[in-house]
Order: sequence, then structure tokens, then C-alpha cells
Amino acid sequence: MSERNTVWLRPPWGEGEPKEVEATPAVLVPLLVAGWSQCAPPAATEEVKEDVHD
Amino acid sequence: MSTTRLQEVLICFGKQKQTDIATANTGAEMWRFGKLNAALANPKLNTENDAEEFGKGHEFPTQSFQTSWDVSGTLEKYLSAEIAAWAMAFGLGKVVKSGTTPNFTYTCTPLMPASGDAAELPYFSFVEQIRPGAGVVLDRMAVGCVVESWTISIGSGPGRANSKITIEFAGSGKVIEPSAITMPAATVEKLLPSASLALTINGVNYVSNKNIVSIETGWKNNVRMDAGFYPGSGFQTAGDATSGAVRGRLEFGNRQGTLRFTARFESGSTELAKLRNQSTGTAVLSLAYDPNNSLEITWQRVSFATAEVGETDGIVTVAVECLPMYDAANGILSAVAKCGVDNICQ
Repeated sequence: MSERNTVWLRPPWGEGEPKEVEATPAVLVPLLVAGWSQCAPPAATEEVKEDVHD
Repeated sequence: MSTTRLQEVLICFGKQKQTDIATANTGAEMWRFGKLNAALANPKLNTENDAEEFGKGHEFPTQSFQTSWDVSGTLEKYLSAEIAAWAMAFGLGKVVKSGTTPNFTYTCTPLMPASGDAAELPYFSFVEQIRPGAGVVLDRMAVGCVVESWTISIGSGPGRANSKITIEFAGSGKVIEPSAITMPAATVEKLLPSASLALTINGVNYVSNKNIVSIETGWKNNVRMDAGFYPGSGFQTAGDATSGAVRGRLEFGNRQGTLRFTARFESGSTELAKLRNQSTGTAVLSLAYDPNNSLEITWQRVSFATAEVGETDGIVTVAVECLPMYDAANGILSAVAKCGVDNICQ
């Protein structure tokens, strides 16, 4: 688990990729004013391997 | 019959936001608080009649009609970390939650439609009950409420009354009676007392120089109540056109921030010079119970609109009205509220 206190934000107008940022007012406030909004972290993508026993 | 005294009134409201204006909070999404003011959030039914219509042979009404519903209310409370977090989140509208128990942090800013944000504020349900159940006196839930304004007042003195918040709210008009809500246990609040204040305005630390006497700051959404009614906005009873219209949206209007304070005025005090020079700077006000329970409000850019020298209890003071202005990078206002309660306005 990361020791950094971070949150995920999605870009204004829903265009673009979410990004993870430090959860400090200095970082968050300008982004919120610019239209970024909190969102859930992107779903973890698990690597799927073929069953090697087949 | 036993007399019903207002001390019996219980209130709870949505800690979490509703999914939309018409979908009430569940009991699990609510929290319960005490309050200081006696006023109830009475639903008001507006009616009209046919007195003006021709064809009856006289000018008197023969029928009346349910037209629409209004709900509004006020909460006056001693300022606590919990109610402060709720008021900032619901009152400003944009929230980022971070941290974990016991230190949840809610970073709140006003919604900015120009940047893609909604113009609708987060909705909550508001429940009032007096003896719910078999001996019910009052049991109703206003659905689709928003925070119209909040005002924080900090005064000089040791009592709890020197740190208060007043919250006004308005509703869509939809009311559920009986509420069907089981009143949750009272929320344990962590008070943010006046003695914990830290305050820097326009480069002056008014606490370290021991000059601050009182301060008041607030936010008003000027909600467009009439615009909540539009073709198709709905009725008190879904599908019953005779039950009176309710609002289908509550959008903020031209919002206003306020910041005013009174400080001792002495040789070297800079308020009058800053008024003349129209100097600008930040105004940062913070109050704390402990490191995990606090409120910090930052007006990103203020100048002094008025500064008048007078007196308070025989001491020369200056009363300053600030003009909150919009900063290109940081907007007009941000609030960082910390408390041990999860899911506020989520």
C-alpha cells in the first residue's frame, strides 16, 4: 500500500484519462477549479494467461 | 392529551447525497444532529382558485387547486467538524474525499459550470420527527433539498456560542409523510471552538497580533427556485396532476461569498491603507478540535471593500468588509474539512 495520500481525478468534460494526484489542497484546488472531478481508481487490469496444462 | 414541546423534535438528514432530486436518502445514508433554533421546515402548499375566470356569473371562487409545494428550513448549530464538513460539501458542491479513518479529509470548492461542472447542487433528504410511531405528532421527510447558504460566526469569549454555523436549505417541494425513516443515533460532534482560531487576512496574522474581535464568513447559492418548475418537473404524488407541482431541479444562481471581521485598531494597523491601495491577498481562517477534526477556509483573493474605525467595548476597532474575488488559478474559495466520518456527500 502506498504511503502517499492520493486520489484519482477525471478530466473536465469527461475527455481524457483519469490521473492520480496528491491529495493536498495545493494540488487539488487548481485542478478542481479547472474542472477535474474525483473518480474511482481505474479497474486493475489482470494479466490473463492461457492454461499451460492444455 | 399530553402537551407536545419542541424539545422533542428530532432531525436527521442525508450525510450522503441522493442519487437524484426525486430519490430520497435511505435511513442508512442519514445522520442525526441537535440544533439551536426552534423553526421547523414546514412544507408550504401553494393554491390558486377560479375567481378570475369568466363564465361563472360572479367574481367569487368556486374551486381551488393545489398548485405547487415549497420547503425551506434553517439549521443553527454550534460549529463542529462534522457539520462543517457537511455544510462545505453540500454548500459548495464539489468534493474530493481523501484519507482514512479517523482522518477523512474533504476538499471542497464551488462548482464551475464553465469548466464542465453541473449547476445543480448535491441533494439530500431532511427528516423531522416528534414522537414517530403510534403517538406520532410529526413525521415527515423533505426530499431533494440543497444548501442555500451557510454562515460561520466566530466571536470573542469562551462559550460554545462564540463559534456557530447557520445553514439555510431549500427543497424541491416533495414531502414523504410518514417518513418511514428510523431515526439514527445522535452524531457525536467534535466542536471547533473560537479559541482554536487561526486567521491571516491580506498578510496580517490577526491571532498572533491578538487583535481579532470577531469574524463572519459565508456563502450563498441564490438557488433559482422558480426555475425548478419546468414542463414535466413532476408532482407531489407521481402521476397525480391534482397533487401540486414539485421542482425537478435546483440550480444555483449568482453566488456570493462574504467575509467581514472586526479587529482592534492601533498604531501600525494597515486596514485603512489597504483599503486605499486596494491591496489583495488571501484570507485563511481555520478552526480545530484536534489534528483529525478541523476546518480551513481559504478565500483565494480578497481586497477590502470598506474599513470603518469605531469601538467595541470601549476599545478602538476597525470593521472591515472584504471583497472576495476570483483567482485565475485557485478560484474564489476552497474549504478543507477534516473529521472522522466517512462518505459525507459521496
